[in-house]
Amino acid sequence: MDAPTIRARFRDHGFIVDEAFATALQIMLALEKPLLIEGPAGVGKTESAKVLAEVLDTRLIRLQCYEGLDAVAALYEWNYPRQMLHARLSETEDLTLEQREAQIFSEKFLLKRPLLEAITQDRSPVLLIDEVDRADEAFEAFLLEVLAEWQVTIPELGTIRARHKPRVVVTSNRTRELSDALRRRCLFLWLPYPTLEQEIDILHARVPGLSERLARQIAQIMQVLRSLSLQKTPGVAESLDWAMALMSLHRDHLDARTVEETLGCVLKVHEDRAIVAEHHERIEPVLEGAPAPIESSVVTDFGLGSVSTPRP
Amino acid sequence: MYAFGSLPGNLIAFGDFLRREYGFKLGSGELHDAARALEVVDLADELRVRDALRPILSRTLEDASVFDPAFTAFFFPGPAGVRQAAWRSLRRGFGPEDAQGKARLAHETRPSPGKTEEEEKPEADGGKITPLAITETAAAPGLLARASYSPLEAETAGEAPELRRVEPAWREAARVLVHRLHLGLSRRWRTAARGPRFDLRRTLRASLQTGGEAITARWLRRPRRTPRFVLLIDGSRSMEPYTQTALRIAVAMAGATMRLEVFTFSTALRRVTNQVRSSAAGETRRLEHLLHAWAGGTSIGPCLREFLRRFGERMIGRATVVMIVSDGLDVGEPSVLRDAMRELHRRSACLVWLNPLIETPGYEPTASGMSAARPYITTFASANDIAGFARLARLVRVRA
Repeated sequence: MDAPTIRARFRDHGFIVDEAFATALQIMLALEKPLLIEGPAGVGKTESAKVLAEVLDTRLIRLQCYEGLDAVAALYEWNYPRQMLHARLSETEDLTLEQREAQIFSEKFLLKRPLLEAITQDRSPVLLIDEVDRADEAFEAFLLEVLAEWQVTIPELGTIRARHKPRVVVTSNRTRELSDALRRRCLFLWLPYPTLEQEIDILHARVPGLSERLARQIAQIMQVLRSLSLQKTPGVAESLDWAMALMSLHRDHLDARTVEETLGCVLKVHEDRAIVAEHHERIEPVLEGAPAPIESSVVTDFGLGSVSTPRP
Repeated sequence: MYAFGSLPGNLIAFGDFLRREYGFKLGSGELHDAARALEVVDLADELRVRDALRPILSRTLEDASVFDPAFTAFFFPGPAGVRQAAWRSLRRGFGPEDAQGKARLAHETRPSPGKTEEEEKPEADGGKITPLAITETAAAPGLLARASYSPLEAETAGEAPELRRVEPAWREAARVLVHRLHLGLSRRWRTAARGPRFDLRRTLRASLQTGGEAITARWLRRPRRTPRFVLLIDGSRSMEPYTQTALRIAVAMAGATMRLEVFTFSTALRRVTNQVRSSAAGETRRLEHLLHAWAGGTSIGPCLREFLRRFGERMIGRATVVMIVSDGLDVGEPSVLRDAMRELHRRSACLVWLNPLIETPGYEPTASGMSAARPYITTFASANDIAGFARLARLVRVRA
C-alpha cells in the first residue's frame, strides 16, 4: 500500500493523516518494523493504531502499559485452578506420568496475554503497545527481546514462533526517557498538534453535520489555546468533545457567552481558565456578535466541571 | 550535486553527515533500512523521500526536528558544490572522539553577537547585588573585564574541568545515598525468599514438582521503589573551585544508579549524561564547553526554566530527586528562578540544593537568587568533599 492509498483509506475511516504520517506507515508496513509514535496527549496516537487495524482489516491487540506491568501479565500464564481441577478429576484414569503432564501442560490450560496472543494469530494483527513510558525500564528490556525475535519460549511447551509478524505500534507520552535500544528497533514518528486546516478537516471527518463556520472557529480557538502555556494543553480529543457538545446544544457559531458556557469541554484545570481569561483579547477576534452579558444563573455547572446546559 | 555518484554511496555519506554534524546515532542497520525504504517510495518525490527517511534515521524528537534542515543542507547545498566543500573542511577540523555534539555546542553555548549585549548588563547588576563575603569570587575584576565575550580569551583562561573515574570511597558514598533514598514500596508484588505475604499460587505450582505435596512455601514482597535522579550542576566562573567536586559527585552517582541525568548550566543548559556515564565506566573526558561558559554570568532561573521546558516532562516526576549544585549567585530575574523552583518542587520527590558556600564562615543565603529559591528547597546542604557527600545520605529526605 503506498502513502496516498493509506491516506485515502484512513480518511474513509474518519481519521486524517498527513503526508509524513502516511509515508511512515507505508515504510513501517514495508520494512515490518515497529513504529514508535510520540506526541502530546490527545493527538490520536492510540486512535491511529485502531484505525490501522480497521484499514488492514485485521485484529487489534492492545497491551496497555502501567507501572508494575510484568512478563506474566504481558505474555502468558498457566490456568492453575483449571490444571489442579483437571489433575484431580483424571486421578482415576490409568495414565503414565508423561501423559498426565502432557495433558496438564497443553495449550488448553494456557492463558494467552497480549504478546503471546499477537504472535499466534493466523493473520498479522496490529499490536498496540500503549503508553510504553508508563511501564518500568525492566519491562522495556523484556519487550525488546520479544520485538527482536518474535518468539516466546514456554518451558513446558517449547518455543512458539510467530507465524505472521504483527504490525507493531508503540506509543509514548514522554513521561520518561525511553531506552536507546528500544528506539533503535523502532521507526520514530513525532505526532504534533494538527495545523489549523488539518484540524478543520478532522472536525468535519469526525463530527458530521458540523457547519463550516463553527469548525473554523473551534480550530482557530484551539490554535490560540495551544499557544498559551496552559497546565493541560487541550488535544484533538478535546476539540472533538467540544464540537459534539456544541452540536448537541444546537449552536452553529461561537460567541463569547457560548464559549464561557462550554469551555469546560476543553480546559480541564481551573487555573487554565484564569490564564485564558487573561488572554481574552486573542480569542475575541474569532468570535462573532457583541459579547453578551453573562447571567450568573447560566454559568454554573453545579460543580461538575463539565458542560453546562442552559436552563429554560 | 552530491558527494558521491551512487545511491548507496549518497546514503552512506548522508548518514556520516548526520552522525558528525548533528550527533545522530546511526548504525549500519538504520542505513540498510533506509536503502530498503527508498526502494518502496518514489525517488523523484523529494518530500516523500524526506518523510520516508525521517522516521528511520531519527530516534528522538530532537533528531526529527533537525532532520529537515540537515536533509536540505546535504542534498540541496545551494550553489553547486559550495556547501559540500565547506562540510569536508569542517570534518577535518573535528577529532573523531568528541565530534558528536561539537556542532551542537557551537550553537548552544556561544552567545550570538546579538545576545552578548543583553548578557552584559545583568552581569554588571549581578556584581552589585551580591553583598557577601564571597563577592570577590563572583564579581572578580577579571570576570567583569571579560564580560564582553571573546572565545579566544576564554579558551586560554584555564583548564576545562575533567571528568574521570572516582575513588572507591566516593562510589561507596553514592551507593549508600542511592540505597537510602527510596520512595516507599511499589504496588507490585514480587516473589522473594521471605516476605510478608504467602504466595498460594506459586506454592501450588511448586508443589506440582513434588507430587502435589506443598513442600517449599513461596512468598511475596513488595519491592522498594527507587527514585530517579536529576543532577544540575552550575558550571559558572564563580563555581570554578567546586565544579570538579560536583562532577565527581555526578560520576560517583552514575556508578551507583542508571537512573541519573546530569546537566550543566551557566549561560546555557547542556546535557552531559552520556559523558558522565562513560567516565563512570573509566574514560577520562574534559568538559570544554564549561570553559566557554565561564565568560558569562550565571542565569540559573532561565536555565532551570529551559530544563523544565525541554526535559521536565520526561525527567521530572513524583519519583525524581532533583539535586542542584550551585552557589545561587544568579544574575537573572529572581522571579524567574522562583517560578522554576516552585515548579520543580511541586513536581519532584524532593529538591536538594548543594551550596558550596555554606561552609564559608559567616555566609547567609541572602543573595537575591538564593532567597528566591530557599522556600522550595527540601534539603539545603553542602558537599565540598567526600565527608560532606557521605553525610548527604543521612540529610536528604524524600517527601512522603
